[in-house]
Amino acid sequence: MSVLLDTVTAVLFPAGAAFCFLGALGLVRFPDTMSRLHAAAKAQTLGLVLVLVGASAQMPGRHAPALLLVALFQLFTAPITSQIIARTAYRTHGLDRNLLLGDALADRLARDGTPLGGPGRARPDEDAER
Amino acid sequence: MTRSGNRRADRVLPALRHVPMIVWLWLLWILLWGATSAVILVGGLLVAVGVVLSFPLPAVLPGAVPEPLRIGRLLIHVLTDLVKSGCTVAWQVVRHGRRVSCGIIEVPLRVDSDLLIAAVAEFTTMSPGSVVVEIDRRRKRLYVHALPVRDRRDIAHRRAEVQAMERRIALAVGHRRGVEDPGPNPARPDDARDDP
Amino acid sequence: MTLLYGITLTVIAVSGIVTLLRLVRGPLALDRIMALDVLVTMTIAATAVGSAARDDTTAIPVLVVLALLAFIGSVTAAHLIEKREGMR
Repeated sequence: MSVLLDTVTAVLFPAGAAFCFLGALGLVRFPDTMSRLHAAAKAQTLGLVLVLVGASAQMPGRHAPALLLVALFQLFTAPITSQIIARTAYRTHGLDRNLLLGDALADRLARDGTPLGGPGRARPDEDAER
Repeated sequence: MTRSGNRRADRVLPALRHVPMIVWLWLLWILLWGATSAVILVGGLLVAVGVVLSFPLPAVLPGAVPEPLRIGRLLIHVLTDLVKSGCTVAWQVVRHGRRVSCGIIEVPLRVDSDLLIAAVAEFTTMSPGSVVVEIDRRRKRLYVHALPVRDRRDIAHRRAEVQAMERRIALAVGHRRGVEDPGPNPARPDDARDDP
Repeated sequence: MTLLYGITLTVIAVSGIVTLLRLVRGPLALDRIMALDVLVTMTIAATAVGSAARDDTTAIPVLVVLALLAFIGSVTAAHLIEKREGMR
């Protein structure tokens, strides 16, 4: 039993760490806020969940559920956070329009008569304006 | 059924509706304590009932009967989706990096309930290469930012994927209305017959 | 097993440093919020690995709180930015 659990941990820890690293790499390499969000929301969440499951395999029985609970929270909250960030990013020019193949939302907003400002120019730093 | 029986059912049923939430909160409490002494059990039950009574949630989806088997299948699907999406993003990072191509896709939905639309949005964000940007509740549309999108075929493919997920969720909670009828898909995205 | 924990912690630490790069560079405030969120996620992961390595369960309740706080913090900050943009 212990060997089995150790194997689970030995597989899940490196895999989780690898996804953590790839998520961080995506955060740096991707060109605009919106695609960085993909790295933050998915690779990162998957990495954390794998690590947590791996850790819970090593924990005494009564503490393992709490770790799985953290994983569950993360699974539920990560999409919500990323949706809100995506929504804000879309409206604050966090989107490089040169990368886009099509933008159905811009078409919709234009038809509604509430288009956003000019094409995706990245706004200079918010904090630097002060 | 007599009128008084009806009325009693009206009184009892709303209370029954809270039971799953109370059980879930109770379970949560026990898990967080990581022990099952009498004080924790009783205290947890009191706290759960107290929370539910002081912050009552509105009834969602009246008349829906969840189907455990379909819910299980949905969960398995979502978990595999999560692994797939992690791999997709990782591959995009390694392979394309700065020159990634994406698109924002409009997905018309057929379900018409706050809970279901929220669930579809949530699970769509978990599925490979897509993040929900905007939810248009009134027109029942999702706007999805999809990561590797190269041509029109990809866009149609992604839209179909989200709609398949929607159908799966609706069936899992026993909400057949709207997704079962095989009629024409109500919205090609670019048609002009929207409400003013 | 010790080697495994060591490697895992090292990789997570390196990822944290890479994420710091994005936190410093920005360019939008949103990028920084996102980077902070990811950093908290990595803290949770690293703490979990540490607990497993030392057979120490005291940190687990902290992880639960941290996960919830990160969520609330990110959502609130994103809302704040959206509001500020709306006023311009």
